Amino acid sequence: MNAKVEELDPIVFERGGTRLTRSQVEAFGREIDALREEIMNDLGEEDARYIRRLVKTQKGMELAGRGLLFLGILPPAWLAGTALLSVSKILENMEIGHNVMHAQWDWLNDPALDSSTYDWDNTCPAEQWKHSHNYMHHTFTNVVGKDRDVGYGIMRLSDDQPWNPLYLAQPVYNWVLAALFQWGVAFHDLEYEKLLKGEKSRAEYRTQRRKIMKKVRKQVLKDYLLFPALAGPFFPLVFAGNLSANLVRNLWAYMIIFCGHFTEHAEMFTEQDIIDESRGQWYLRQLLGSSNLEGGPLFHIMSGNLSHQIEHHLFPDMPSNRYAQAAPRVRAIAERYGLHYNTGRLGRQFGTVLKRIHRLALPGRRRANSAPM
Amino acid sequence: MHLETRFDTTGWMRRLGKALATPFDPEDYLALFDARYSAREIRARVHRVRRESDRAVTLELAPNRLWKPHKAGQHVLVGVDMGGVRRQRCFSLSSAPTDPRPTITVKQHGTGGVSDHLVNHCREGDLLTLSPASGDFVMPEPAPERILFLTAGSGVTPVHSIVKSLLASNYGGHLIWAHFERSYDQWLLGEGLRGLALDERLDFRLVLTGDTPRPGDLAGRLDEHWLTEQVPDGASRTLFTCGPQGFLDTVIDWHQRCGRAPLFHERFQSTPVSGGDGGTVRFARSGGDIQAQGTQSLLEAAEAAGLRPQHGCRMGICHTCKCRVTRGRVRDLRSGASLELANQEIRICMHGADGDVELDI
Repeated sequence: MNAKVEELDPIVFERGGTRLTRSQVEAFGREIDALREEIMNDLGEEDARYIRRLVKTQKGMELAGRGLLFLGILPPAWLAGTALLSVSKILENMEIGHNVMHAQWDWLNDPALDSSTYDWDNTCPAEQWKHSHNYMHHTFTNVVGKDRDVGYGIMRLSDDQPWNPLYLAQPVYNWVLAALFQWGVAFHDLEYEKLLKGEKSRAEYRTQRRKIMKKVRKQVLKDYLLFPALAGPFFPLVFAGNLSANLVRNLWAYMIIFCGHFTEHAEMFTEQDIIDESRGQWYLRQLLGSSNLEGGPLFHIMSGNLSHQIEHHLFPDMPSNRYAQAAPRVRAIAERYGLHYNTGRLGRQFGTVLKRIHRLALPGRRRANSAPM
Repeated sequence: MHLETRFDTTGWMRRLGKALATPFDPEDYLALFDARYSAREIRARVHRVRRESDRAVTLELAPNRLWKPHKAGQHVLVGVDMGGVRRQRCFSLSSAPTDPRPTITVKQHGTGGVSDHLVNHCREGDLLTLSPASGDFVMPEPAPERILFLTAGSGVTPVHSIVKSLLASNYGGHLIWAHFERSYDQWLLGEGLRGLALDERLDFRLVLTGDTPRPGDLAGRLDEHWLTEQVPDGASRTLFTCGPQGFLDTVIDWHQRCGRAPLFHERFQSTPVSGGDGGTVRFARSGGDIQAQGTQSLLEAAEAAGLRPQHGCRMGICHTCKCRVTRGRVRDLRSGASLELANQEIRICMHGADGDVELDI
């Protein structure tokens, strides 16, 4: 009798003591779909006002920041200018650029906020970002060997990645990556390791590198030559301000992004796991592979709403201002199915990321079963 | 709708501005001060709203510098944000190219679309977007000696532009214009037309199909009898006509049998696309078409036709396959919703044809 039931409705998910049958996973998927449908159908003028106001605020802050840096000879002006420019770069990259390129605002039908034409204030060309991030990372989230965001080809962040002695240094070069994060992101899609393995042609690699360098040149020219030069004798002050703003943005983006998938309980998957994966199973993987950050409304905006990483991964093209509304509903659905909803304050979550980085620098696995109960 | 930037791109000021604003345009920052600034699209402020009747308005527009003067008779796609979403609809420009500001004249339809929004909610100071003017319903050079205009309803708008600019030039020929209208309160641009009619080169006749005509106007309906009676030399005049479908059919039919001079016509409604599951998918840029099943995604249809459109996840997540539908009806394969599209982008991996579709690939 039991065997027969199992045959009709086999267990397709088993992790951390939770077992779900095929029909349960499908029901879970339908609930997530229904939530998506409900929120997407409700989009309207309020949402449009939100993003347009945000773009205005960001552009205004950038102008003010760059303006104040010209008066950088006065320390308070330098500090305020650098702070404003840092915040504006964070907002543009995270809450505007990243989300616009996810097509969250395509429904506005506004060419200024269209995913196919938008480019962000960052060294990574939009086209390559959309490939490595929207496609590779969001489709194959946390699948070791497929999702290159698992370690970015240079770090060991999953037990399933084979260890090698270079990883012993990752607690150190982790911070180098953090400080140079936009550069890491820019060269990420080049997939240098694939070139070495012969999986990528030299010609393709060169074309891609040329495109990246073209964007890099423009970005460097703007922040490190033209704006400083316009300041005349205060060249070094503007240069330092711009460098600091890019650094602040790099560190902040790095921290938020690493908390998205590498916290203690964020789960990793193998290529075996995703064979014939259904939509419900895909949702499950997004939920279990992502982790949220708790905080106030301003914190969520400053994190580009990646503090709602789980919701972002379930609904990558839902306008980010709606994630806060979706979060408690997703959490309730997850709990009903006995699934872990990974969330916590920034300090705690980032602490577990650092723990993972240090532990996996050494050979061996973190522990036999990493899922919480 | 990407336009050449308004500056001389080799100008060093322009290049410096671009370099300082990269990856954006200087206009993206200037827009903080005047929302019309854009390097991408023509944005216009509504300068004045003139009420034509309780169901129609003429909007006087103040566009940004990307706007290039139109040729009389051409139309524009006008975009307006409704519920946050930019919606577009085509309107003939009713102004002459020499007028200080371009105008469109809009009649309410009662369907809740762009026209209704413009008539009922548009205020001075509102922002609209415009496409560059386009269309072939324009006067050939040099203008023919004798011309006949036949219009009905909203068909008055492009012809108003044509006639006004002809009369403003040193045109030495003769124009006859018969405009058909059900009632006086629906007549658009009436005041302007009465003004134009004072010119000796124009013989203007308003023909009422419903109301009792006032002195000087006529009553009647457009048919062959009316034409031979009222415009004896009509068949030998170059003919410009614009109006509703049935009206156009009558005029074109008459011209085919009797006309001895060229015909220019402008259609407002396109013929409706066929409904139902599946349909013909045409590929505007690569040429060719294919018969698609209703359950087949447009991406699959394109691949079946031998094309290799960009794509990624094939499940609606990554938006790599986004592609412009020039026009047609598609079905969202996930929700089953059917959508009529014109010049909008969709993910072709998760939409199928629901009637005839034209893709910009």
